Amino acid sequence: MDLILPYLATLAIFFFVYNILTWGLNIQFGYAGVLDFTFITFVACGAYFSGVFALGPGQKSTGFEWILGLSWPFPIALVMGALAAGLLGIVIGLIAINRLRSDYMAIVTLATGTVIYGLVSNYTPLFDGFDGLAGLQTPFTQWLNINYNQFTYLWVGFCAVVMVICWFIAQRILNSPLGRTMRAIREDQEAAEAFGKDSVRVRLIAMSMGAVLAGVGGALLMGFIGAFNPAGWTSGETFVVWAALIVGGRGNNWGGVVGSFVVAVLVNEATRYIPPIPGNATLIPTVRNMLIGASLIAVLWLRPEGIIPEARRRFYQLPLLPGRRTPAEGVGSAGS
Amino acid sequence: MESGGVSLVLQSVGFGLVTASVLALASVGLTLQFGVTNYINFAYGTYLVLAAYFTMALSTRAHLPFLLAAVLACLAMGVVAVGIAKGVMQHFVSRQAPLFYLLIVTFGLSLIIENLVQAIWGPGFQTYNLSVGSPLSLGPFSLTPIQLVIIGLAVLAMVAIHLMLSRTSLGKAMRAMSDNKDLAQVSGIDTERITTWTWFITGCLAGLAGIALTVTTVSFNPASADSFLFVIFAAVILGGIGRPYGAMAAAAILGIVTEVSAVVVSSTYKDDIAFVALVVVLLLRPQGLIATRGKA
Repeated sequence: MDLILPYLATLAIFFFVYNILTWGLNIQFGYAGVLDFTFITFVACGAYFSGVFALGPGQKSTGFEWILGLSWPFPIALVMGALAAGLLGIVIGLIAINRLRSDYMAIVTLATGTVIYGLVSNYTPLFDGFDGLAGLQTPFTQWLNINYNQFTYLWVGFCAVVMVICWFIAQRILNSPLGRTMRAIREDQEAAEAFGKDSVRVRLIAMSMGAVLAGVGGALLMGFIGAFNPAGWTSGETFVVWAALIVGGRGNNWGGVVGSFVVAVLVNEATRYIPPIPGNATLIPTVRNMLIGASLIAVLWLRPEGIIPEARRRFYQLPLLPGRRTPAEGVGSAGS
Repeated sequence: MESGGVSLVLQSVGFGLVTASVLALASVGLTLQFGVTNYINFAYGTYLVLAAYFTMALSTRAHLPFLLAAVLACLAMGVVAVGIAKGVMQHFVSRQAPLFYLLIVTFGLSLIIENLVQAIWGPGFQTYNLSVGSPLSLGPFSLTPIQLVIIGLAVLAMVAIHLMLSRTSLGKAMRAMSDNKDLAQVSGIDTERITTWTWFITGCLAGLAGIALTVTTVSFNPASADSFLFVIFAAVILGGIGRPYGAMAAAAILGIVTEVSAVVVSSTYKDDIAFVALVVVLLLRPQGLIATRGKA
């Protein structure tokens, strides 16, 4: 009991955080069709900024140096981390999102992420380079006088509350006129623009909103682990969120929940606790990464809409008009 | 001091020629495929690495002469590229899946290949059993014999690509498909056969580039081509998608610019210069140096 409960609590925290991350990517890609191939950079942005707002000042003499170091209470630091990620989303979006072909979007996001990764890893005054941030006291414990296990349970509750707030934000956007515009642009950018929609602006909003959720998820990880360094956000981590979204089903947030459970919890987190095979310590992470890449391809091959497909929305059609069929419609449902 | 600065810059131009050669091999290979198939291959960087590991396995483990190992590895990489295209990409292309499917699929492939390489050969750094030789002074440049061989090889390959594109029916068909695939098809071009050959050539060029890259960096690991991939993308976009001559020119420019900039700023940020170039190109001239209609 002493071992299983904290373990399950840890898995629950990862599940809740990955739900938030998958919804964030869903807003960017599932709603608006933005190919963000550097999603993990926004997660890292949220983690780093919430960290430097919550941590005390870094001291160069002790080998720990970072910007800010304001010792703010963690909930405020979390909001600052999310805002920082949202701002970064706008900056990267301004470069990546234009009316050019979608490959460019993918190339530029991936390239920007690689550059930022190199910069953060090598330039130590920012976030202490490869060593990263460390030594964040577990939030709330100084007021509540609880031990680490109790903190884990507390954090499950805190993540759950934040997750529910994020769920309402994501659902609110999905069902709003803004969300409808996002989907229209995803389906046919030119047609949406012909109706007067500013596709670049709407996609920038989607990019930034998704980045905010990524930042929230990153901040929650930072608060739980208390440390964050470049080893935690290699480009492979972006695939985990992508696989969760594609496997679960994009365009609806329940798909994100299923995907984050299957990919991020069952495949990704649970396999971390398998003891390493003697003589080949990196084999399990390697096989896990291959599984994640293969699951992406397999789902797009066999069931491209994911486990939970996006619900088709019905609009009133004049009964006298001949049944129009859009490519997304299944056979048999057209013209009804 | 003044003359020291000048010779340092000239010396870096020499290194720039080496980088440009490697980049030209890689970006011409990518742009040919990009033009013919009309989607970008995010797994291309791992093709470079895979060929390097093939060469390493054949030369240091199977004890073949390095040159023979390199040739075999390039051909093998061509076959592997065709196999991946037929086995995986073809499924999505023939069903006319949206473009982002293929981008995600190649993205997933890069994860699979990089980790497969790591599972087979381990995550550590590898080297070839190859003596680099002492640098030779040629005017202001000082380059090792191996570096000279790479430059010569790249020039030869570019001439061969030029002859293929301008003289052979395969090359002409590739250019026709790159311009307008449907028109090429109704003109009686066997587009499937041309696509297969394109994948073979792109695989061979990726192999050649990968071996040249890892010979110049001396040691390499499964992630060695990760950041180089963006320099390749920058060259392909700067040159105009599907424009091999544009890619050659862009490779020459980017190769020399990144190496000379390493004199001014730290060489840690060398790849960032290529990224800045990529962003500037995308903002100012997204169609590339040589415009390709319908591909911007």
